[in-house]
Amino acid sequence: MNKITRRDLIKLFGAGALSTGLMGASSLAFAKQSAHIVIVGGGVGGAASAKYMRLLNPDVRITIVEPEPKYIFCPGSNEVVAGFDTLETLTVDYNTLKSRYAVNVIQDRATEIDYANKKLKLAKGDVLSYDKLIVSPGPDFKYGAVEGYSKQLAEGDFPAAWHAGPQTLTLRDQINALPQGGTVLISSPVDPYRCPPAPYERASFVANKLKETNPTAKVIILDSKDDFIFHDVYLDYWKKEHGLGTADARIEWVPKKAGGHVTKLDTKNRTLTTADGQVHKGDVINIIPPEMAGSFVRMNGLAKGDWAPFNSQDFSTKRDKDVYIIGDSAAADPMPKTGYIASNQAKVVTKAIQAELTGKEIGTPFITNNCVAMAADDWGMTVAETFRYAGNHHAYEESYVMSDPTENPYYRHIRAEVAKNWQRTFRKDIFS
Amino acid sequence: MLQAPASFAISGGITAEENDKLRSEYPMPSGDMLGDNCSACHGTKGAEFNEAMPPLAGMDKAKFIKLMKDYRANKFPSIVMHDVAHVFSDQEIEAMADFFAKQKPEEWTRPDWNASIKANTKENSHE
Repeated sequence: MNKITRRDLIKLFGAGALSTGLMGASSLAFAKQSAHIVIVGGGVGGAASAKYMRLLNPDVRITIVEPEPKYIFCPGSNEVVAGFDTLETLTVDYNTLKSRYAVNVIQDRATEIDYANKKLKLAKGDVLSYDKLIVSPGPDFKYGAVEGYSKQLAEGDFPAAWHAGPQTLTLRDQINALPQGGTVLISSPVDPYRCPPAPYERASFVANKLKETNPTAKVIILDSKDDFIFHDVYLDYWKKEHGLGTADARIEWVPKKAGGHVTKLDTKNRTLTTADGQVHKGDVINIIPPEMAGSFVRMNGLAKGDWAPFNSQDFSTKRDKDVYIIGDSAAADPMPKTGYIASNQAKVVTKAIQAELTGKEIGTPFITNNCVAMAADDWGMTVAETFRYAGNHHAYEESYVMSDPTENPYYRHIRAEVAKNWQRTFRKDIFS
Repeated sequence: MLQAPASFAISGGITAEENDKLRSEYPMPSGDMLGDNCSACHGTKGAEFNEAMPPLAGMDKAKFIKLMKDYRANKFPSIVMHDVAHVFSDQEIEAMADFFAKQKPEEWTRPDWNASIKANTKENSHE
């Protein structure tokens, strides 16, 4: 369906590029043409890079390499777990990027960067020449952090559901099938991981649903941390709506210091063991594993430890100035790993590339993260963060204001409306 | 100087003075750089129309500046915009005002986005 035909390539790149064989073209063939911007990963960071690059420059050639034919947005996937939205709403394809922005999308997996010759190898054997390479493959999971857990189990009866997709639906179905009075265990990982408030949003949504369908059931969050964003808001909500701290609490939060850090899964007995030896039995067990940079990033020598360092002015990698790293794989602390951040990192990169192509100075970058979360349909919260450039070899400096618990139901309601609006607008900004 | 409403009590990161110091050390981010940061909420180039977040594309420059400075000064209750506006200098607000004033106040895509995608799929089917 999404296979690029020779005719499409001629339309996009001209017959000249094809005469040397596009996929194996020498960089000389490309040099005669306009610059070729190649992007690894078609998620939020990659798609935003493609679109915003095109908005800056009608002539560059832009190619996204992405294994999946469609992309499912993670923002909104907790709503799918709770059953008040569908994966279809969150699913987009690459047709608009192809047709409106003349982006070439190759459905394949990038495997290896040939830094010396500025080439990118793909799993099916093709080789792309690039002038600039933007790497945005998203994170990988460290399944091994929990003994007994694995990718196979995540794809089976123990869904992580941390990339929106089939696991999201498995988790939803398991919660629907929870026996009366059953227990849902959610293991929340160490920082940093994608979308910091999301485990707590998920727990809230699930508890809200159980309140209607299975009022004696329980949600227990076993946390590898002692604190999390919107902590005060969520605890306030859980006290008011789910009896947190009482004998009948529908939701419990076990921080690390109280022994919440999960170390072991026993699939046969359906139990989680924590660092201090507590054993929790769960009818539904949702382990959100800790994360690290995607395998492409690690295998191509871009990571130092778990994440990939970069030059702060333009997100070019420390390994090679023509290779850029954005999104969840980047060592961007104090920036959280959010789609909003990835999309704004993409804008910094594309502006820097455009400046280089047109012989201008690379400007001063600036990044915001105005993120939203919900506890319920009418109970929203927001955080506004800005990140200022503090020199090329320094981390950005953060300034933030976030929602506090409020007794004002109108504030909570409007924040939830803002959250829902944001999801829609954000999806449009990236993919249409 | 800045006074956050009681419901927005949690703030952190660098101080206003440190923010000023960083601003003085490096060239100002361009209006495009600052304005493109708004697109996740206000749409590409500020041209999104929805019920909770107004469009910015084509907004009168003086109006934009007054609004942003009022948000920054926390002159009236707002849900997010004080929190966003409080870190920007006068010059940065003016650069954003210029950026949005020059954008076309047109809806970026058709109103029914899913229908638009489906229509595109048909129009551009390769096989």
